[in-house]
Amino acid sequence: MSAQKKRNFQIEAFKHRVVVDPKYAEKTWKILEHAIHEIYNHNASGLSFEELYRNAYNMVLHKFGEKLYSGLVSTMTSHLKEIAKSIEAAQGGLFLEELNRKWAEHNKALQMIRDILMYMDRTFIPSTHKTPVHELGLNLWRDHIIHSSKIQKRLQDTLLELVQHERTGEVINRGLMRNVIKMLMDLGSSVYQEDFEKPFLEVSADFYRLESQQFIECCDCGDYLKKAEKRLNEEIERVSHYLDAKSESKITNVVEKEMIESHMHRLVHMENSGLVNMIVDDKYEDLGRMYNLFRRVPTGLALIRDVMTSHIREIGKQLVTDPERLKDPVDFVQRLLDEKDKHDKIISSAFNNDKTFQNALNSSFEYFINLNPRSPEFISLFVDDKLRKGLKGVTEEDVEIVLDKVMMLFRYLQEKDVFEKYYKQHLAKRLLSGKTVSDDAERSLIVKLKTECGYQFTSKLEGMFTDMKTSQDTMQGFHAAVGAEIADGPSLTVQVLTTGSWPTQSVTTCNLPPEILGVCDKFKTYYLGTHTGRRLSWQTNMGTADLKATFGKGQKHELNVSTYQMCILMLFNNADRLSYKEIEQATEIPASDLKRCLQSLACVKGKNVLRKEPMSKDIAEDDAFYFNDKFSSKFYKVKIGTVVAQKESEPEKQETRQRVEEDRKPQIEAAIVRIMKSRRVLDHNNIVAEVTKQLNSRFLPNPVVIKKRIESLIEREFLERDKTDRKLYRYLA
Amino acid sequence: MKKEDTVKLISAEGFEFIIDKKAAMVSQTIRNMLTSPGSFAETEHGEVTFPEISTTILEKICQYFYWSLQYASGKETEFHIEPEITLELMMAANYLHT
Repeated sequence: MSAQKKRNFQIEAFKHRVVVDPKYAEKTWKILEHAIHEIYNHNASGLSFEELYRNAYNMVLHKFGEKLYSGLVSTMTSHLKEIAKSIEAAQGGLFLEELNRKWAEHNKALQMIRDILMYMDRTFIPSTHKTPVHELGLNLWRDHIIHSSKIQKRLQDTLLELVQHERTGEVINRGLMRNVIKMLMDLGSSVYQEDFEKPFLEVSADFYRLESQQFIECCDCGDYLKKAEKRLNEEIERVSHYLDAKSESKITNVVEKEMIESHMHRLVHMENSGLVNMIVDDKYEDLGRMYNLFRRVPTGLALIRDVMTSHIREIGKQLVTDPERLKDPVDFVQRLLDEKDKHDKIISSAFNNDKTFQNALNSSFEYFINLNPRSPEFISLFVDDKLRKGLKGVTEEDVEIVLDKVMMLFRYLQEKDVFEKYYKQHLAKRLLSGKTVSDDAERSLIVKLKTECGYQFTSKLEGMFTDMKTSQDTMQGFHAAVGAEIADGPSLTVQVLTTGSWPTQSVTTCNLPPEILGVCDKFKTYYLGTHTGRRLSWQTNMGTADLKATFGKGQKHELNVSTYQMCILMLFNNADRLSYKEIEQATEIPASDLKRCLQSLACVKGKNVLRKEPMSKDIAEDDAFYFNDKFSSKFYKVKIGTVVAQKESEPEKQETRQRVEEDRKPQIEAAIVRIMKSRRVLDHNNIVAEVTKQLNSRFLPNPVVIKKRIESLIEREFLERDKTDRKLYRYLA
Repeated sequence: MKKEDTVKLISAEGFEFIIDKKAAMVSQTIRNMLTSPGSFAETEHGEVTFPEISTTILEKICQYFYWSLQYASGKETEFHIEPEITLELMMAANYLHT
């Protein structure tokens, strides 16, 4: 009693009563043996627990524990042999039921025996290291029933047969199945594994190998995956119903291996229904299924990813290299965006937004967008188009979405500086012609570029905006100061552009008409008066003009033209006929621009304010031009656009390219010097690697160019070659 | 008190103690007697005879059962045992697995 333990007094060893009767043990055991028989025969109600317990207790106390234990073993064994016979005798389907029934009985009897022999379990068994009664009962059952030669094989076959029946769609007694499996598990996990799980997995592997072979011959990829998924779910369900939970991963492994892994490649590349077809046809459900199934096998996802990547690269390559597509940059970019959207959707809805897939998609886009050297130009043109007209009547959020998408494409570009060049040109055109739809959208995009590429990248672009703002103020000041003097003359709006911020233009000022020149000079005086030390030069190639013209029948029109066109038209105030040469001389407009202007003035139907002789589409050097008296138009305002080369012509492209290359040189040099300044000594390959790393947010420098820059720096004594190792460079402070 | 909730313990001399099953089950042996799956005579009649335990001791044991329940529920008091019955009580405790 626990309370007694608290008191601290010695207790002497207890002396047992001496057993008088030498046959005491024999007699007592007989009583217990009889009780065990009765228990197995379901006759326990007549027995007194106390009496049996007392007998067992006394036997153990009187050192007959060994006799009690061995007696128990032999009695139980003989009972189990009886039971084995009755189970063996059970016919066909009754076999399992009999086994199950006997098992339940044995379990109950075992528990009763354990209870009455509890004292032995408590004292005798631990001290002699014997198997406790309950475990002993299970072991004996295992050895004499489950592993009996006539039962073991039969049990296995019966169980596997039932599973097979269920796989082919029959209904089986799952409760019975569960009990028998539970029995095997109770007998120890090794029994379950050896006697059921192992053969079960083998049979399953055979079954699914055969079935998958049949399926793959007659089904397309989608159907096959559906079947595989169904089978997989069936197995998982089976485990949850009557197998050990630990078997789930094993059996699913079998199904995965037989149904998926061994046919993986064939499935993915299946003609007319494989992965590529699913992607093309936007079969999200099938793709999702494929993803979920393939995810289960080691190389499954890598396979999907690889095939998807090569597919995207393939179509992307077609897209960017198709000469047809290159004709319309806006459409070109739109297609890229559509393609991206499509695959984004697939990844988000079918591929669980898998990061590795997103990365694969990104790298594919990066790969093929940069295949076409004109991508930066086209993306800028796309933005230009959107900001000029595409965003009219669109909500702010939608604008943001479009801009974000553009930024996404921008991120793929390796030559971000080329994009910057074009973007600057296009932005300049937009700003100067006042064509930009939304100032907010423009600024929002600048902010995005800034966050993406840093302050440097956008400082010039921001400078352009500042110039626009300052120009407005300047013009107000100008009009306030000299407005009265020039009220009769043409009104003038000047935008003062900071050199450097704006795309550099070859300054070939054309001859302005005297009326305009007067006003311009006034502005020049005003501006230089307020800002001393500056130089103003006129960028006549970028301006626009509104002219009021009176035609033959007295009808008046307002002509919206470029500065060049204005200069040409003003000549016709004093003459009716002018030859090409005369115009060229009078205006000094560069030949290519002049031709374009004349073309748009004389050759566009409905806007031909000039008449050309001879009539033809193109302008020749010996053409003559007349003022077109018969010009008529429905509209009061006539906008005469220049035949603008939207896309750059080949020489222009070369020129831009060259400018970009020129601009890169100082950047590369700066990077080299920065690196060398901190490293002092570095070998060639490492410099190239570091420079590439530093600059890849702007462009991908060519190693050859880097080498040239290093040589140039050596010439200018920023660096020197190491005297002993020619591959090493030293920084010279 | 319902009959199902009590158990009758009978001493060697035939004295009967009727106590709560809950209290009696402090003894692991009695617990097994009353809960063993087979229907032993004890379970059916709700009484247990202890031919080897005297009335004095059984009475003390019953007192102990109730004391133990209280003790388990946090009421710490002394359980007094007269020295002269200590030995016999211990034998009974071993037997009853208490």
